[in-house]
Amino acid sequence: MKGYVKYYGQKVLWYVLTLIIALALNFFLPRMMPGDPVAALASDEVANMTEKSAIEKVYQDYRERFGLDKSMPEQFVTYLGNLFQGDMGTSFSQYPRGVSEIIGESILWTIGLQVPAIIVGWLIGNLLGAIAAYTRRGFDKIVMPLFMFISNMPAFGMAIIMVWVFAVTLKVLPASGGYGFDLLPSFSFEYVGSVLRHYQLPFWTMVLITIGGQAIGMRSMSIYELNADYVKYSRFLGIRDNKIVRYVFRNAMLPQITGLALSLGTMVGGNIVAEMIFSYPGIGTTMLGAITGGDYPLISGCTLMITIMVLIANLVVEILYGIIDPRVKAAQQEA
Amino acid sequence: MGKVILEVKDLKTKYITRFKEAVYAVDGVSLKIEEGKSLGIAGESGCGKSTLALSLMGYYFAPLHYTSGEIIIDGVNISGMKADTVRKNILGNEIAYIPQAAMNALNPTQKIIKFLEDVIHAHDPKKSKNDIYDMAVERFADLGLPKEVLQKHAVELSGGMKQRTVIAISTILSPKVLIADEPSSALDVTSQKMVIKMMRELMEKGYIKSMIFITHELPLLYNVTDDIMVMYAGQMVEKGTAKEMVFDPIHPYSKGLMGSIIVPEEGTRDVKLEAIPGTPPNLKNPPKGCRFAARCKYAKPECGVYEISEKKFGENRMHRCIYDVDHLREVYGE
Amino acid sequence: MKHQIKQIFHSPKFVVGFIVFVFLLLMAIIYPMVSAVGPLESMSKIKFLAPGTYINVEDTLNAEAGVIELDVVANRVIAALTEDEKTKMVEWLELYGGVEEGSIDIGDAETLINTWNSKYDEDIRVTGTTALRKEYQRLAARVENLLESSGVSIAEKNENGELEIVKSYKTKEFVGVNDIANKINFPLGTDNFGRDVLTELTSAIGTSLRLGLIAGLIATLIGLTFGLVAGYCGGVVDNLITFLTNLFTVIPSFILLVLISYSLGQGSRSVEIVAIVIGLTGWPWTARSVRSQVVSLRNRDHVNLSKLSGHSMPRIIVMDILPYVASYVVMALILQISSGILAEAQLSMLGLGPSTTKMATLGLMMNWSQQASAWQTGAWWSFLPVILSIALVTFSLNLMNTGLDQVFNPQLRDS
Repeated sequence: MKGYVKYYGQKVLWYVLTLIIALALNFFLPRMMPGDPVAALASDEVANMTEKSAIEKVYQDYRERFGLDKSMPEQFVTYLGNLFQGDMGTSFSQYPRGVSEIIGESILWTIGLQVPAIIVGWLIGNLLGAIAAYTRRGFDKIVMPLFMFISNMPAFGMAIIMVWVFAVTLKVLPASGGYGFDLLPSFSFEYVGSVLRHYQLPFWTMVLITIGGQAIGMRSMSIYELNADYVKYSRFLGIRDNKIVRYVFRNAMLPQITGLALSLGTMVGGNIVAEMIFSYPGIGTTMLGAITGGDYPLISGCTLMITIMVLIANLVVEILYGIIDPRVKAAQQEA
Repeated sequence: MGKVILEVKDLKTKYITRFKEAVYAVDGVSLKIEEGKSLGIAGESGCGKSTLALSLMGYYFAPLHYTSGEIIIDGVNISGMKADTVRKNILGNEIAYIPQAAMNALNPTQKIIKFLEDVIHAHDPKKSKNDIYDMAVERFADLGLPKEVLQKHAVELSGGMKQRTVIAISTILSPKVLIADEPSSALDVTSQKMVIKMMRELMEKGYIKSMIFITHELPLLYNVTDDIMVMYAGQMVEKGTAKEMVFDPIHPYSKGLMGSIIVPEEGTRDVKLEAIPGTPPNLKNPPKGCRFAARCKYAKPECGVYEISEKKFGENRMHRCIYDVDHLREVYGE
Repeated sequence: MKHQIKQIFHSPKFVVGFIVFVFLLLMAIIYPMVSAVGPLESMSKIKFLAPGTYINVEDTLNAEAGVIELDVVANRVIAALTEDEKTKMVEWLELYGGVEEGSIDIGDAETLINTWNSKYDEDIRVTGTTALRKEYQRLAARVENLLESSGVSIAEKNENGELEIVKSYKTKEFVGVNDIANKINFPLGTDNFGRDVLTELTSAIGTSLRLGLIAGLIATLIGLTFGLVAGYCGGVVDNLITFLTNLFTVIPSFILLVLISYSLGQGSRSVEIVAIVIGLTGWPWTARSVRSQVVSLRNRDHVNLSKLSGHSMPRIIVMDILPYVASYVVMALILQISSGILAEAQLSMLGLGPSTTKMATLGLMMNWSQQASAWQTGAWWSFLPVILSIALVTFSLNLMNTGLDQVFNPQLRDS
C-alpha cells in the first residue's frame, strides 16, 4: 500500500506542475508575440475606427484593464491571484458577463457530451476490435477497412456529414443547439426531451469517431496477444478457449488504456471543433464565438479550461491504469 | 519389461506454410517408453525435436497438421480422437507439455494460483478453490517451491523460479507422460541443476509416470534420462540406453554428435573434439535416401538412392544407416 | 536496404496507400494546370452553383432546333411545381381521388401528372375550411396552366418600338448540347464565391500537402534531435527533455495552436507561418518514439566500439545510431504530415488558419463552406468532396505508414 501512495503521490505532483506550466503558457504566449499586444488584442475593436484619439483611448483602456503598464511578473501574479478567486476576467464580446460565468455554463454541456461519448465509444470500439481480432474472417474483413476509413475522417468532417444527412436531408434530428430555440432551461419534460433530441447527433458523431480509432488499435493489440506464448501454453494445458480469450483481452486492454491517455488531448480537440459544427452550447462554440469576436479574456479562459479538463482526464486514466495492471503494483511493492 | 506407457507408431506431421507448401517436420517417428522410464531426444536445431514434442500432444494448431501414425498413451490411441475430446480429457491430465522458454509461458497479469485454478477447473469443474489451494501448497512444498509463489504474478519471479513453477503447473494433474522441451536451456547452471533435480523427483515420487526430455545439450542427457534417441531431419537415426549412446554410438551422425562433447572420465585428455560440417537439409523437399548422406564422412553413392528403414540390433537398440553395425564398428576402428 | 525497399513495395497496405497518395498528388499538380478556370477565380456571383454543365441561354436560342418525340410536359410541370404543391396533389388524390395511401411516388413525375389529370374533379366536395378549398382550386388551375403551355415565342423591339415576334419554338423542340457555343462544366459545382470547386479543391490539396510537408519536416527534425540527444545522453539531459516531452504531450497541442495562432494576429498568418507553428507543436510524439529506440541502441556493441575508438559524440550519433533510427523517422514523418494537415483543417475551421486570398487550403475551403451555411442549404458539393479529400489524404498516408510498420516490425504482420 505504501508503494501505491508514493506512486500516485508522484503522479499528482507531476500533474500539478504541468498545470502551473500550462497556466504560465496560457498567460505568457500571447504576450510574447511580436508587436504590441494591446494592438493585437484591440485590433478587432479598433478595426473600424479612424480617429486617432479614439483609438488611443481604447488602447489606454486595454492597458489598464490588463495591467499591461505593470511588469510581466507582476501581471502574472495578479493573474494567478484572480484565478484562484475564480475570476477569469470580463468578457469583451459578451460584456459585462464574467468569463467564469460563461465558461461555467458551457463546460457543463461539454462534459455532459464528451465524457459519455468517449467512454461509450472506447468501450464499443475495443469490443468490436476484439471481436474482429478473434473471428478474423467475415466480420474482420468488413469491419477493418470501414473503420480504417472512418478513423481517418476528421471529427468535424464526420459531424458535418451527420448534420447534413440526418438533420438537413432526412430531417429526423435537429441540426443545432443544445435544445429548442423556443425553450428556456427548466426541469420540464419538454425541455429535457428537447435536450435529449439535440444530444443525439453530437453524441453519436463523437462515439462513431472514437470507435473508429479504438477498434483498429484494439484489433492489432489483440492479434499480437493472441499469438503470445502463454496462449499456446494455456491451450496445451487443456484450458478452454473462452477462458483464454478473457486473458488475452484483459492484457490487450492495458496498452489501450495508456493509448487513451495519450490521445485524450487530440480527441478532445477534435470533439471541440465538432461541437462547433453543431452549435452545441459547449466550450467549443463559446471559444469559436470568442475568437470571432476578438474576445481575448474569453479565449484565454476557454483554452485554460480545456487544458485543465484534459489534465484531469489524463490523471484519472493513469490512476485507473495503476489499479488495473498488476505489474504496476508488483513494481511498487518490489521497490 | 515394465508396462508401456507411451507408444508412438510411425508418426508423421507437417507444417503448411503461408504459400501452401508442406514442410515434413516429423517424418515417421516410432518410440516406446515404459512406466518409470525417461527418454531423452537429442539433435541439432531444426531437426524436428520441438515439432515432435508438439506432435505428441495429440492436438494440432495451424500451421501444424497431422498426417498419419498413432500415439498410444497407456493403451488408449489418441490419434483418432476428436480434437475437443483430446482437449478436455487428454491435454494436461494424460500428457503434459513444458514449452521452450517457459519463462514467457505464463500470463504476465495473472496470479499463479488463479492460473492453477483455471487449469484444474478445465478438467474438473467442481473442485473448490480451497481444495485447489491446499493441493497446490502441498505439491509445491513437495517439489521444493515456497507457497508464497502461488500469490505472485509471473513478473515477480526469477527465471529459474518461473521455470520450476511452470514444471509444477504442468504436472499438477499428475499426467502419465511429461514432455519437456529444452527445460533448462535458458538458465544459469545453478538453476539448471535445480530444474533437473525437480524433474527427477517428479519421476521418483510418481507424480509423472514417464518423461521425454528434449534438448540439444547432450551432456545433460547422460545424467538425466534412461534412454536416448537421436533425431535428424525429422527422423530417428539411433536409439539406445544413455550409456550405450554416449559410449558406443553407432550411426555416423550420433558418433559425430558424441564426438563433439567431452565426458569427463579417465583418458579423455587426448580425445579430440570433432565438428560435423554442413547444415541439415530443407524439409520442404527432403532428399532421397539417407538424409545425412550429404554430410557423412562414410557416405557412398547408394546412400542417396535407397530409403533406409530402422534396423534393430543389440538389446533394444536401433539405428538407421545403410551399413550394418559390424561394418560401422570396423570403419570407426574399434 | 534494397531488400527492404523491395519488401515495402510488396506490402499491400503500403502499395494501396501509395497509389492513392500519388493519385491525389498528381491531381493536385495537374488539374489546376489543365483546368479552364483558375482555382480562386470567381466565376459567378451566384452562390453555390450545383455540379453540372451550364449552357448559355442565348446560344440555345441561336442553335438549330429539332423536334424529338418525348413527353416534355410532365417533366416541365413537375419541375415547376414546388415540393409543397406536389405534396398537396398527392394529399388530394389520396383523400378524394380514391387513390390508396402511399401508392403514389412523388418522385415519379409522369404517373403523378397522369393520375391527377384523370382523377381530379373540381366538383368533388372538399371537407375543411374555405381557404383549403380555394387552395386546391388554385393548385388545379396552376397545373392546368402549366399543362397548356405549349411553345414559346421570342419577341424583340423593332424600329417602331413595337414587339415583333422573331422566332417561335414548338414545345418539343430540342437543341444539341454540342451545338451550344458557350458552355462550362462544373464537375463539382461552385462554392459560395462562385469558384469552380474541383479546380479549387485540387489546388487546395496541393497547398495542404505542402503545408503538411513543412509542418511534418519541422516536427520530425525537432523530435529527432530531442529524441537522439535524450536517448543517447541519458541522465539529467534525458530527464529534462523527457519532462518537456511529457509536458507537451499532455497539454493538448490543439490548445497551443489556438493560442499561438490567435496571438499572431490575422496579418502574420501565411500558409508557411501556420505550417511552422504546427510543426513547432507537433514534435513530442516523434521525440518519444525516437528516444525509446535510441535508448535500446546505445548499448549495442558497435556503439561501444566507436566510443572506445574515441569518436566524438555527434559523430557517433550520426554514423552509428541514426541509420537504425531511420525507419522510425520515415514513419514519423509520414504521420506528422498527416496530422499536420488535420491540424490546419481544425485551425481553419476555428477561423485561425492561414489568412490568405491567394491560395486555398482544405481547411480554408471547409471554413468558407461553413460560413456560407453550406450544409444547411444542402450545397453538399462544397464540403463533401473536401471532407473526403482530407480523409483520403490522411488515409493514404496512414496506410503507407502501417505498411512500412509491418515491414520494419514483422511481429505486427497480421497473418
